[in-house]
Amino acid sequence: MDGAAPTADGWLLDITESEDGRSVVLWRKERASGRVRRTAVEFRPPFLVEAPRADLAGLARRLAADPEVASVERRVLAPSLYDRRPRTVLEVTPERNPARRALARAVDALGGFERYRLYDVDLVPPQLYHLAHALYPFAPVAGQGAELTATEPAETIDYVPPPLRVARLEVRIAGERRGRIPPPDGRIGAVRIGEVTLEGREEELLRALVDELARSDPDILLTEGGDGFDLPWLYRRAHALGLGPDAFSLGRERAPFRPSRRARSFESYGVVHHRAAAYPLPGRFHIDRENSFLFDDADIAGLVDAARLSRLSLSTVVRQSPGTCFTAMEMAHALRGGAHVPWKKNRPESFRRGDHLVAADRGGAIFLPPVGVHDRIDEFDFASLYPSIMVRNNLSSETLECRCCPRSPIRAPGLGYRSCTRRVGLIPRTLAPLLARRTAYKAAMKRPGTPPEEVARLKRRAKMLKWILVTAFGYQGYRNARFGRIECHEAINAYARRLLADLVPVAEAAGYRVVHGIVDSLWLRPLDPDRPPDPEAFAREVSARYDLPLGYEGRYRWILFLPATTHGLGVPNRYYGRYEHGEFKLRGIGARRHDTTVLVRRFEGEVLALFRSARDADGVRALLPRALARADLFAERLRAGAWPVEELLVAHRIGQAPEAFVTFTDSVAAIRQLADAGARRAAGELVRYVLLDRRSRSFRRRVRAAELLVGDEEYDRAAYLDLLARSAETLLAPLGVGRAELLARWGVAPSPEREEYRSPEATAQGVLDGS
Amino acid sequence: MGRTAPTYRQALEERMKRWDEFARLLTTPEERAAFETLRTGARRYAAQATYVGSPDLLESILLSVLLDLARRLPVDPPGRPAAR
Repeated sequence: MDGAAPTADGWLLDITESEDGRSVVLWRKERASGRVRRTAVEFRPPFLVEAPRADLAGLARRLAADPEVASVERRVLAPSLYDRRPRTVLEVTPERNPARRALARAVDALGGFERYRLYDVDLVPPQLYHLAHALYPFAPVAGQGAELTATEPAETIDYVPPPLRVARLEVRIAGERRGRIPPPDGRIGAVRIGEVTLEGREEELLRALVDELARSDPDILLTEGGDGFDLPWLYRRAHALGLGPDAFSLGRERAPFRPSRRARSFESYGVVHHRAAAYPLPGRFHIDRENSFLFDDADIAGLVDAARLSRLSLSTVVRQSPGTCFTAMEMAHALRGGAHVPWKKNRPESFRRGDHLVAADRGGAIFLPPVGVHDRIDEFDFASLYPSIMVRNNLSSETLECRCCPRSPIRAPGLGYRSCTRRVGLIPRTLAPLLARRTAYKAAMKRPGTPPEEVARLKRRAKMLKWILVTAFGYQGYRNARFGRIECHEAINAYARRLLADLVPVAEAAGYRVVHGIVDSLWLRPLDPDRPPDPEAFAREVSARYDLPLGYEGRYRWILFLPATTHGLGVPNRYYGRYEHGEFKLRGIGARRHDTTVLVRRFEGEVLALFRSARDADGVRALLPRALARADLFAERLRAGAWPVEELLVAHRIGQAPEAFVTFTDSVAAIRQLADAGARRAAGELVRYVLLDRRSRSFRRRVRAAELLVGDEEYDRAAYLDLLARSAETLLAPLGVGRAELLARWGVAPSPEREEYRSPEATAQGVLDGS
Repeated sequence: MGRTAPTYRQALEERMKRWDEFARLLTTPEERAAFETLRTGARRYAAQATYVGSPDLLESILLSVLLDLARRLPVDPPGRPAAR
């Protein structure tokens, strides 16, 4: 920008695709009036085709004759990030934006799916509009209509977000309680919007809702499950009553209602998830808390930040993973640097020797902690270690093993992969500003005098960035990641492993002994407990020496490292303890898991409340009898059958399609029960149920699904006593407490973990003995 | 996700299943307890074995087991004391 920057008189909230398929719609909020203005601008972004020289003329002629193609131009560009030599490419502009992908597929097919390389195909027009016009979501803008100028760059750290009006939306079916299975023709009895509750005849109610939206004009509709229920139900009933888009619409534009994404199940890190269909509204954001991975952590402040940096609409950011945001940020940096975004990743993994694979395909260093109660342990964590390693060592798909630096001194330990010393890679270019941003947010949070609401906002933004930074590493090893490369992933791990190994003698020289370590965290015990080293000084020294930020988390009053039930050695990520500054840290125990019953949560809560007063390891040991007395009390109430069933709900995420199950389990029984009541569940969805008779082979008697609870259920006492005993064992095993002894104490026969192996001889002997 | 080679810990557990078969034919509690010591020793140094990334699984297992036994031995005076 040259000269004095114009002053902003509004914000660009969002850019959406227009119904006509040839333009985008800019949504601008005026600062003075708070009103949102709509401007449609013709915008049909082209994509690029790189083809062998001999093919270009023929391909251009062929495409120019295609009615789906508006224009074909020759351009001389260097589209590839990996090969910066200029070449002639075709710039293809589709007739209509929705045909982009189909057209690109057709071109790809003409080249037999391997002769041509396509670029910029799967960026959406709003995203490309932002990038082409130096705009971004929530930019403060000067000007009107289509002539908008952002008054500050997207990367600005200290910015004022636009004031957004948020209204909660909740639909109630007449005569039904929420959480029940609605009948297929369920009438809407009431709608809550913001502070207003609308009731009455259904058609009038729907019209009143549209009027109320026009009056209060919220920017964001916030729902709990709106993508799965509230929004589709509203439109379904409107349709049934003959109300078309002119009479009933929840957006700021009268547009027909259809999902932008269908419901699906998918797998991530071994867990199957389910995502409801997405229903974006033109000009207005719909945030469904249940359909948003990021909302709970990042809140609106964090999501706005991510939208600004990624150039993705808030509607997209809220429903997508942090990985999508990171990829979009990479794309923005690539385009800004003159490279284009390849459509498919044409970079297969190269063949490698098996022993090399064993050496390279490893994660970070993870120690086994010593099982038991410990005290006076200092914990240190590296902040954003993996992204920092990527930036520091210039790890990026195009800078690793580059042709220009055969003698590069930057080499991955043990693997030898070289990093380029001549140009900075795309990943470091994308990550460095994010790291700086996160550091700035954290510093501002700690600055005295920062108002608490500002601290809360910064915390959300920092959390959002943390998620994006975490994904940046994971995406290096993900086969579909656009700019990822498995060797980068391996190199990062190699650097991290070497770092942790290097720190063992460094810690010892400083007067510590290493107790435990996981990838980027260390737990250290002072060699001389009466004269412990200065932890802050140690953190500073290591940070300076390795040019990576090591932070001091605190000293533990006490900490329990918990064993595996199978082999009794420590589990790296299962521990709990209390710092001297008063906070608890819990990892891998029930309170951290989504499937835990309220019963177990309560028990854990009581044990932790009890241990709160312990000053050291001996203090914890001294409290064991009282912890056991609590367990006995819980057991007594359970055995009396007096525990409220709502607190006994077990949650289970369905791992596969319901019909694919071959064994009969508790959750299968619940799924069948629900299906019987007309509510099918898909893979990745949660089922919640109470155990009624774990030994029953009948799906009706074994459990009762949460949706079908009446209140007079008799729960399976032995099963819940077992659950309680397991919980007590998890927490107290380092103090010598075992599940079998607890169950014996409560007079319950323990259910076997799994069938013991019995040799044919033993079985035969058993038959002879009559057992 | 994307992992091609099993982790050392996975490979170790796979091998332990074979060791279980061996243990079935042990006939005294003392032998079984001693065997359990070996197994625990193998698992105790999984972090270190992973760090080496040796293509020879058995080398890593044996090194772990031997170290677990060696750390119980009295240390010769000239050597550095290996106090835990």
